[in-house]
Amino acid sequence: MIKIENLSVAFDGAEVVKNVNLEIADGEILGVVGESGSGKSVTALTLMGLVSKEAAVTSGRIFYDDVVLASAGRPRDMALYRAYQGSRMSMVFQEPMTSLNPTKRVGGQVEEMLRLHASDLTGEQRKERVLETFLKVGLKDAKRVYDSYPHQLSGGMRQRAMIAMAVILHPGLVVADEPTTALDVSVQNQIIALLREINKEQKNSMLFITHDLNLARRLCHRVAVMKDGRVVESGNVEEIFESPKEAYTKRLIEAVPSRIKKEEKAKQRNVTAEGVKAEENILEVKDLNVFYKEGSNSLFSGKKKKPVVSEASFIMKRGETLGLVGESGCGKTSLSKAILGINKDIEGSVIHYSTRPQMIFQDPYSSLNPSKTIGWLLQEPLRVQSLADKTKAMTDKDREAAAYDMLHRVGMEDKYFYRRPSQLSGGQRQRISIGQALITRPGFVIADEPVSALDVTIQAQIMELMRSFQEEMKLSFLFISHDINVVYQMSDRIMVMKEGRIVEIGATKEVFDNPKEEYTRQLLREA
Amino acid sequence: MMRKVKLPKIQKWNKYFTAGLIMTVIALLLAVVGLFWTPYGTTDMSAAERFHAPSLMHPFGTDNFGRDILSRVMKGMGTTIFISTLVVAGSGGAGILIGALTGYFGGILDEAIMRVTDAINGFPSILLALVVISVMGGGRQNLIISLAIVFTPSFVRIVRSEFIRLRDADYIMRARLMGVGRARILFIHILPNIFSTFWVSVMIGFNNAILAESGMSYLGVGVKPPDASLGNMLSDAQGYLMTAPWYALAPGLAIVWVVLGFSLLSEGIRRNG
Amino acid sequence: MKYLAKKIITLIMTLFLVSVAAFVAFQIIPGDVVTSILGTEATPEREEQLREELGLNDPPVKRYVSWVGDVLKGDLGVSYRYSKNMNEMMPVTELIGDKLPVTLWLAAIAVILIIVAAIPLGVFWAKSKSHAMDAFMGVFTQAAMAIPSFFLGIIVTYLFGIVFKVFAPGGYVSYQDNFPGFLGYLFFPALSVAIPKIAMTARFLRNSMLTEMKADYVRTAYSKGCSDRRVMYGHVLRNAMMPVITFLGMIIAEIVAGSIVVEQVFGLPGIGRLLISSISTRDFPVVEILILYITFVVIFVYFLVDILYRVIDPRISNR
Repeated sequence: MIKIENLSVAFDGAEVVKNVNLEIADGEILGVVGESGSGKSVTALTLMGLVSKEAAVTSGRIFYDDVVLASAGRPRDMALYRAYQGSRMSMVFQEPMTSLNPTKRVGGQVEEMLRLHASDLTGEQRKERVLETFLKVGLKDAKRVYDSYPHQLSGGMRQRAMIAMAVILHPGLVVADEPTTALDVSVQNQIIALLREINKEQKNSMLFITHDLNLARRLCHRVAVMKDGRVVESGNVEEIFESPKEAYTKRLIEAVPSRIKKEEKAKQRNVTAEGVKAEENILEVKDLNVFYKEGSNSLFSGKKKKPVVSEASFIMKRGETLGLVGESGCGKTSLSKAILGINKDIEGSVIHYSTRPQMIFQDPYSSLNPSKTIGWLLQEPLRVQSLADKTKAMTDKDREAAAYDMLHRVGMEDKYFYRRPSQLSGGQRQRISIGQALITRPGFVIADEPVSALDVTIQAQIMELMRSFQEEMKLSFLFISHDINVVYQMSDRIMVMKEGRIVEIGATKEVFDNPKEEYTRQLLREA
Repeated sequence: MMRKVKLPKIQKWNKYFTAGLIMTVIALLLAVVGLFWTPYGTTDMSAAERFHAPSLMHPFGTDNFGRDILSRVMKGMGTTIFISTLVVAGSGGAGILIGALTGYFGGILDEAIMRVTDAINGFPSILLALVVISVMGGGRQNLIISLAIVFTPSFVRIVRSEFIRLRDADYIMRARLMGVGRARILFIHILPNIFSTFWVSVMIGFNNAILAESGMSYLGVGVKPPDASLGNMLSDAQGYLMTAPWYALAPGLAIVWVVLGFSLLSEGIRRNG
Repeated sequence: MKYLAKKIITLIMTLFLVSVAAFVAFQIIPGDVVTSILGTEATPEREEQLREELGLNDPPVKRYVSWVGDVLKGDLGVSYRYSKNMNEMMPVTELIGDKLPVTLWLAAIAVILIIVAAIPLGVFWAKSKSHAMDAFMGVFTQAAMAIPSFFLGIIVTYLFGIVFKVFAPGGYVSYQDNFPGFLGYLFFPALSVAIPKIAMTARFLRNSMLTEMKADYVRTAYSKGCSDRRVMYGHVLRNAMMPVITFLGMIIAEIVAGSIVVEQVFGLPGIGRLLISSISTRDFPVVEILILYITFVVIFVYFLVDILYRVIDPRISNR
């Protein structure tokens, strides 16, 4: 049994974990749910003895069965931890690519566990044991995986190898820190199933850390919700979901985009498979092929052309949102760049009935120029517009007023006008991105995973902001996301892509209720 | 709307920065004063005063012609710093222009220029400067031009790789969608973002220029006697190492002083970055 | 293999470019070499005769082709300055002959010194936990990097040659006469070339190790129960060494340049001194060949480093 008692952890005097109490019974899976900065990872790393050296336990104790692993005021006992790390407790990390040593073969890295903690085994026995474990975690081609380097495996396989490493010694505790966040949805589900299976077989206690309540619900027996370093609520999974006591938990549950809430909204609009009725077209894409040049742009590289998007045809109407879903690598981003003319290596036709279509990107940290102030950024589209078109020339004063106006519209105060992007939070940056894209009132905007990098509560706010702009400006959004629930909530129609082809397109409700394609059904099942 | 070039902010003075600043200020002060006044004339010879060891009269001693070494070191530092500054300004400016254009636009021109800069970069720098000098002839002006040519590729490289990194950044893609013109993207949207990286390479370049200039003068193909330069003083001094070791020490330490001061200064800035 | 072929083509192309550049720089731009050989008082007939002899009347392309052809055949041309006797000009081959090994050995010993000293120093620095030691190493390496190699050469000569009398300055021993003595004499010049680069490489390795220490896989290794030692030598060092190899390859050119300058300080009869004297006497055929030689050596080392890198880094070689 693992017991964390009144634990506080501080970095440079600032407490990031405050009086946390957690208990994991033998064979139990405890989910710790929270947004970034909630202290959930620091708690787990402290438990594992892996938290960075600057961190200090300022109160409380950590028990592994009856042994005190850490306690306030005592320096970290590395020798004690080493006796537990690996053999009695192990960890699976978020990024399987970077969490494996890139220059060592995967087999050797897993085998190191045995070298460290099962020194009585011979080399051959060790290898056999590793191969066995690989098979157990679903790596069917165990021999090949054994001899591979991490970069030669897919993300899912790498994470399976990490899990093999973590469970090869049947440790009493497995800590999994966002183990599926970096993976595609379908792989995500397999990994969750695998963890559940291992838990059943090896009866280990598990600590599952996630920002995603849905995932926690599917895997865990009990859940603890963390916010700002504290556990705000904990209990049985179903209890928490059915009757959350804390306001924050309620908000978290509500913020998870759920299909139920959308029902009424979708009905308000008269949507068919061809789009909102009685509206003019804003975009027509016909027989579009998008190519991707292999190799670098060098004298030597033969220019092999292979299409990443084939024969895409669809139209969009004014004021509608078309959701585009598909797994990573299916051509979503290539298609959107081709529509905007950023990728010019295309065949077929793209006709815009709006001027200067804009784009909103996933990563709010890279979509604003870091060397400029917010005010400058908001004014730049107007400045450029008046440079290009004298009829739209504005005085400096008018332009500044327009920028302030937009700043307010996206829900931010005057004081941010002279700040730089680095001084803003992710959500605030995404607000500015939206404001900058919309200040010239374009008719058509592509939003590429605009909320994927944000915490759930922020997600809801940003989607609301986009919807309010849409209504006011009669905007059309091409809304790209891997998150089916988010797309459901935002879109009038849905388009599904697989391996560069559009496999299904139709009104949102229609697609959800009666998916025509097997692939769509699969996507929906997984979500 | 171009804003002032933003130098890295010094939030807290650290020891590196303080030491570097003091050393650099002393060096600059000596060099600037040396332009107008030196304790003795830099070419005043006196047979009676040959090879005097350092004393109150001549803090760094005198050389084989009885000239005051301190005075010549002051003049020499001025020459070295002046030449290095021009070299860095010239090669840095050319580096920004060429690096920005090739990095952003790519294509065949980029390919060709990269081949040339690769070839030059792979070449021992002092050797290339020697080649240019041997073709164009010696002298101060040709020394500056040849060193500027030699240092340009490293600046091109840095600027180019920064432009390549940034040209596909999300915010540059958005700027293009807004209809921002090419020149505006290059110099107003991208350029300010590379200054912190560029500044570091300017500091490194300045040090390398000082080492290269004194090396060339030491080899006798840079600043020629009787003009004082730290390099040619060292070359003279080497012949009298047995009788007057202080003669070599003063100009040598002067070079180390300037370079070390500047390195510490940039280290201090980097640590505070 | 395709990669290898590509690299070899690049190698040849670079050499071609350098040879064209050298040809243009030394045979087209400098103007009339005949006057510079014969002086201004020679008769026009004698000038014309020499011009014909040197092939200067041919068009540039033909001159380039015949020059390259000669070089490939091993005929490196004749010096404008040196002559064997009154009637016979000095072939460049003979002039360079025994000088090249001196420079190459000097550079090689410097490289060995750098590797032997910088790696332990860098590892020690990265492992040092005390703030004072860290600061000391920082300033110490900065200072070492600030000393130009020729000044370092002078210091070494003064200290080891004049004060401690460990070696005799100017007492160069030819490698044909006494090879161990030759290597012994080269040790101090090589040390002068190496010291700033040792500091540079140690800094680079230390930074590379500190970067690697922050990598996710290090945390994974600790989570398995690895000791600090095991993490350092089993995981971090190898990965941290990879950029260092590239770095060493990159400073090869500087090591060669340093060797050329340091030859001057220690009076070594290497190609550096020949180059400097040929430049000051405008003896272009010699300069030209030396430049080609040095370029070839440097590019070849780059090539080797690149291949080596591919062999040891699985991320590249298996792609």
